[in-house]
Amino acid sequence: MGVLTAFMRGVTRLNDVIGRGIALLVFAMFAFLIMEVAFRYLFNSPTVWTNELTQMLFGVYAVMSGGYIMAHRGHVNVDLLHSHLPPRGQAVLDILTSVIFFIFTLALLYFGFSMASESIASWETSYSAWNPPIWPVKAAIPLGTGLLVLQGIVKLLEDIAVAFNLSYYTPEPQEDNEGESS
Amino acid sequence: EENFTWKVQSHWPGSSSSYEDSLVRLKNIIEERTDGRLELELYEAGSLFKAKEIFNAVSRGILEMGTISPAYAQDKISLAGIASGLPFAFRNVWEAAYFHQGLGFEQMLRDEAAEHGVYWATDKVYPTEMVVKQPIKSWEDFTELKIRSSGALQTFLTEAGAAASYIPGSELYSALDSGIVDGAHWGASQGAFSMGLYEVAKYHVQPALNIAGTDVIIVSQKALDKLPEDMQKIVKQALDEQFWFRTNEYQYKERITLAKAINEHNVQVNTLPEDVQDRLTQTAQKMWDEEGKRSENAQKALDMLKAYLADLGYL
Amino acid sequence: MSIELLTLLFFGSLLFFLLLGLPLAFVLGGVSVVFLYFTWGFDSFYMVASQIWGTMESFTLVAIPLFVFMAMILERTGVAKDLYRMMHLWCGGLRGGLAIGTLGICAVFAAMVGISGAAVVAMGTIALPSMLERGYDKKMALGVINTGGGWGILIPPSILMILYALITGVSVGKMFAAGILPGVLLMVLTVIYIVVRCHLQPHLAPALPKEERGTWPEKFRALRAVLLPIGVVIMVLGSIMGGITTPTEAAAMGVLGALISAAVYRQFKWRILQEAAVRTFKLTGMIMWILFAAHAFSAAYQSMGAQDLIESLMNMIPGGPWGIIIAMMVIVFLLAMVLDPVGIMLITLPVFMPIVESLGFDPIWFGILFVINMEIGYMTPPFGFNLFYLKGVVPPSITMKDIYSSIVPFVIVEIVGLALIMIFPEIATYLPDLFF
Ligand code: NA
Ligand code: NA
Repeated sequence: MGVLTAFMRGVTRLNDVIGRGIALLVFAMFAFLIMEVAFRYLFNSPTVWTNELTQMLFGVYAVMSGGYIMAHRGHVNVDLLHSHLPPRGQAVLDILTSVIFFIFTLALLYFGFSMASESIASWETSYSAWNPPIWPVKAAIPLGTGLLVLQGIVKLLEDIAVAFNLSYYTPEPQEDNEGESS
Repeated sequence: EENFTWKVQSHWPGSSSSYEDSLVRLKNIIEERTDGRLELELYEAGSLFKAKEIFNAVSRGILEMGTISPAYAQDKISLAGIASGLPFAFRNVWEAAYFHQGLGFEQMLRDEAAEHGVYWATDKVYPTEMVVKQPIKSWEDFTELKIRSSGALQTFLTEAGAAASYIPGSELYSALDSGIVDGAHWGASQGAFSMGLYEVAKYHVQPALNIAGTDVIIVSQKALDKLPEDMQKIVKQALDEQFWFRTNEYQYKERITLAKAINEHNVQVNTLPEDVQDRLTQTAQKMWDEEGKRSENAQKALDMLKAYLADLGYL
Repeated sequence: MSIELLTLLFFGSLLFFLLLGLPLAFVLGGVSVVFLYFTWGFDSFYMVASQIWGTMESFTLVAIPLFVFMAMILERTGVAKDLYRMMHLWCGGLRGGLAIGTLGICAVFAAMVGISGAAVVAMGTIALPSMLERGYDKKMALGVINTGGGWGILIPPSILMILYALITGVSVGKMFAAGILPGVLLMVLTVIYIVVRCHLQPHLAPALPKEERGTWPEKFRALRAVLLPIGVVIMVLGSIMGGITTPTEAAAMGVLGALISAAVYRQFKWRILQEAAVRTFKLTGMIMWILFAAHAFSAAYQSMGAQDLIESLMNMIPGGPWGIIIAMMVIVFLLAMVLDPVGIMLITLPVFMPIVESLGFDPIWFGILFVINMEIGYMTPPFGFNLFYLKGVVPPSITMKDIYSSIVPFVIVEIVGLALIMIFPEIATYLPDLFF
């Protein structure tokens, strides 16, 4: 059981580290857009790359967030039924609905991977005026989805532990939704 | 007898004149000639696949048919750059049409697309023209412009000395209105009219930035092969006719729309001064050579084009 | 299988798994994949990946993290808190004063952004705690944020209006002009509702006790708190209207303004900025994964033949021109309960527009009705985007049930507004006729 616990902690930590890193991209997006405004408005010489780079960063930023958000229970759901169930009941329900989660994410992983490898095979570029490589952004789809799937497996293992009272996982008191009430 | 239904993803929004004039027309003709045995299900821009993904979807056989701009297939088709239009090459639409159909450029495109399981049929050739808020009367006027552009033309306009930037279509009207840019191209007069650009930019610039086969109909070879032979023939023939009919009709509609813009929105045609045209052509010719470096095939097409233009007395 | 039956099963499964508590993003994505498998085959899953790629490539969405970031900085540095303290001092005597002030901020926010989402998340972070702290009823507070947060698509600039113009071929400028008065109307109606309701039931939005209302010098000192937010607003709106930036780039100006405010508050600290960035990431990601899946969902529904359904529905409707318009509104309202606005537009507009025009109605006016209906759709259960965005920022003590039930009166108010614009089309058409 030690292996399972280690796996779960490892995945959660991985998503946390990656998430906190990617979160900083917002500074870059901000800086590039401000630069473009300055170049165009003050110097009358818009660049070919700032807006496109910002958009590429945004794509990576968005798709890489799935696992981090799952680790922090940030994907919103309807809790009408949940709020009337004991923790074990919730866990059982979540085990059942996880089928839908895995159908979606695994389909996305498979075809995201297919899309990305096609792009990498031709070192695809955007063919805009700037023409940067876009395969790294496409590669972020299977990567981000992969992280989400891993975190989904962790969540499933947690639910199984709660539902069947297994010892490899003890639920911590639920994390506060990051201090809105503070 | 077997019936077939094809999913057709368009890169035109429903309000674009080409959606009705090109795609619905094609649907009607094919359905009529096959007695309804082949039915086309049309999807407006963005419904199933985004424009840039249509080629991939047709190539994989998920979609049976689609419409694209060659620019969306640049990573697969090395001739796409030339197909989507070298700036200041052709001066009349018929020249581009003859280049495609008479000199065999269309067949070269078709051969390249075939390697990806796609049957390529150019929908029409037509000009791309700019609208600007202030008339261009001198080279200085041109270099002071901020122009909304995209792709190869953005590179070209920047090289030529204007400040060209990319702004997505959804923000184009506001950008032109508030003066973030002073000019833009979106097709020619029909495109500008449909985007409401004449409300905020009153000068229609001629000659065209380029004249090219910028709209293409693509068919999945897999889907085509599944049809009985007579129906395959009907589809291919309809596509061949489409090119000539639409190229001609589009020219007519351009003229009508421009006249309407002149009457209703007080638009004026701004013909570029001779020296501006010359300098733009010089910049353009440097760019052509870049396109040739894309592949052996592209070099061959470029040589063919240059010889043709020389024959026409332009080089 | 007929499209009618498919529709029932498709939306039924959506509802079923949503109620079982699976997050919205995964319900939308999973149900799409399952139905695509049975209607189009395995290979069609590529469409799901492709829709996600298309959403990642959408430049206008870049405004979401930036506006959310702006709000997070304003909140973390205390700028927002002081703003609410000021509002409370000044409107303290008025029951529901903070709610009305919040609506005002929502309207300003709506003039800055063209998309939904950012405003709801931002106002949920800034306004909700401030109202709850001061004893406001949670349903009142939630409803106000939900309704005001949705105005971003009605008050120009608006991405949905641009999209409407693109699909139907009407002028974007006219659509923008047409949205202004209806936006004001909805605001006035909502304010009237709040004032009347709070007058009748004072416990919903208590007035500040007399002794806490502060002296005049205190009130004027508190006014300084508005200077920075007003500065931020001027930076954003000024750069859009002055032709300096596109609406998307203006979001970056908002962040710049927020950073300057942070510096003025001596809160320009790495720890605070990093915290704001991480929360922005979490909230933006939540919005984006919902959008990823929602786009896949509506593409899947379209591939099943959604448009045929609308067409056959339209053929069944008797009752003259007004009957048809009202039927269209009902269809849009129902679709908006489960589908994303872009999808709804692509499915219905190609069917509706020829009919609207042949009946002699003004497409601009119809567009405004349509957009208001979309906005109502954003806040109607089971699947209104705003509801979920709001759920993403509220404290755990607030459940989805609270949010769902909070919107009822506000939806009714918006429907009244919609009816007024139907009866008096000039509300929508006056300004565009004046300007163009
Ligand atoms: Na807005
Ligand atoms: Na809704």
